Amino acid sequence: MEAVDGWWDDYFWGSMIVLQVFFFSLILMVIFGLIGAAAKLSDNVVAQKIAGAYTIIFRGTPEILVILLLYFGSAITLTAIVQIFSPDTKFVDVPPLWAGTIAIALIVGSYATETFRGAFLGVKEGSIEAARALGMSDLQTFIYVRIPEMWRLALPPFGNHMLSLIKDTALISIIGLNETFFVAKQAIGTTGEPFTMYIVVGGIYLAFSSIVTLSVMGMEKFGARTGEGAR
Amino acid sequence: MDLTLITESVPKILSGIGITFQLMLLSAILGLILAVILLLMRLSGKWYLSWPAQIHIYIFRGTPILVQIFIIYYGLPQFEFVRDSIFWPILREPFGCAVVALTLNTGAYVCEILRGGVLGVDHGILEAGSALGLSAQQKFIYLTTPIAARIALPAYSNDFISLMKATSLASTITLMDMTGIARTIVAQTFAPYEIFISLAIIYMILTWVIQKTFGRIEKYLSHYVNP
Repeated sequence: MEAVDGWWDDYFWGSMIVLQVFFFSLILMVIFGLIGAAAKLSDNVVAQKIAGAYTIIFRGTPEILVILLLYFGSAITLTAIVQIFSPDTKFVDVPPLWAGTIAIALIVGSYATETFRGAFLGVKEGSIEAARALGMSDLQTFIYVRIPEMWRLALPPFGNHMLSLIKDTALISIIGLNETFFVAKQAIGTTGEPFTMYIVVGGIYLAFSSIVTLSVMGMEKFGARTGEGAR
Repeated sequence: MDLTLITESVPKILSGIGITFQLMLLSAILGLILAVILLLMRLSGKWYLSWPAQIHIYIFRGTPILVQIFIIYYGLPQFEFVRDSIFWPILREPFGCAVVALTLNTGAYVCEILRGGVLGVDHGILEAGSALGLSAQQKFIYLTTPIAARIALPAYSNDFISLMKATSLASTITLMDMTGIARTIVAQTFAPYEIFISLAIIYMILTWVIQKTFGRIEKYLSHYVNP
């Protein structure tokens, strides 16, 4: 393990990038998932069809392909747009961090769409009737009854979606994001110890996913304090 | 959109479908065997069997599959004893490494799915088995296994699709599966939209076929539950 000595700070900054990607993709993933679920539950046939296509496309395609397509595709499209205004531009670089963040948020968002849809459908009819009987408006029912009841149902699969986000971050290294996996590749170049370097990466990811799992367990416990059978 | 490029490249991409299928089917079969072994270890009730199984599951579900593939392909040859071992002919080849990584990974996930199935078996059925004088082993083989398999099947089909999608990562260790070929074509032509979207459609068709197949199996297995 002495070979890792000079590389700990690089691994640390790489881990910070993993966290950054996780944070932004988590926000985007929730937004995509909620929009998708709202579209699927709406009465609008066009919205339903679009949301259906979204989930089929992003759940049926390998993650790496979505990342590559978004990265190279957006680079080509942006270059073409910029060339209209300044014809001597050769190539526009798209930051891999943003292309990758959006790509994994779109992928996991398609799974979250189904989770949120199922959770909203799982809210008990009786709770909503009770809210109506208390004279709550639709908005109040949504905020005070539907949301608190649905997030408890959505939490266990949502925890898995968060784990997918963390683990998919490693795939963004393929398009050149300098996260831990990328650091390992550089470190191997100088130390010639691939096993050691990749084991460190594995350890970092294992730590991240353990933290996510533990927080989800904590949140489940918090959510269950008022649930059925709780006192 | 360059249509001639698409008509020229799709046959080239499809020439890699054999490797995609080999990776998928080999890892699925080996992974299922591994999952059953891990499951039996977990259910054995003996800590020296159950702990290693749980550690395996924890590690392989908690790290990215890409890291696992790289540790096996690039990492293991760092050691002299790996290069001298009988496994070297397998671990020397990218194909062998991809199968090993996918098997270890999918085995961990499938074990948890199967465990969910076993835990979902109704207690009354097992009590009925005891009342009929079946031994613990007989109950496991004739009652738990068929019912658990039926309960686990929908989740298993999802994992099978994940496995199919994960085979595309073999392209990162120089294997020429469909994704590997597509990436080479994009590097030469720089036409990501045409090539990658065609490839995405091929994968979506595969996903659809797998879903339909499992739907058939599910229907067949439950024909006496909902006749």
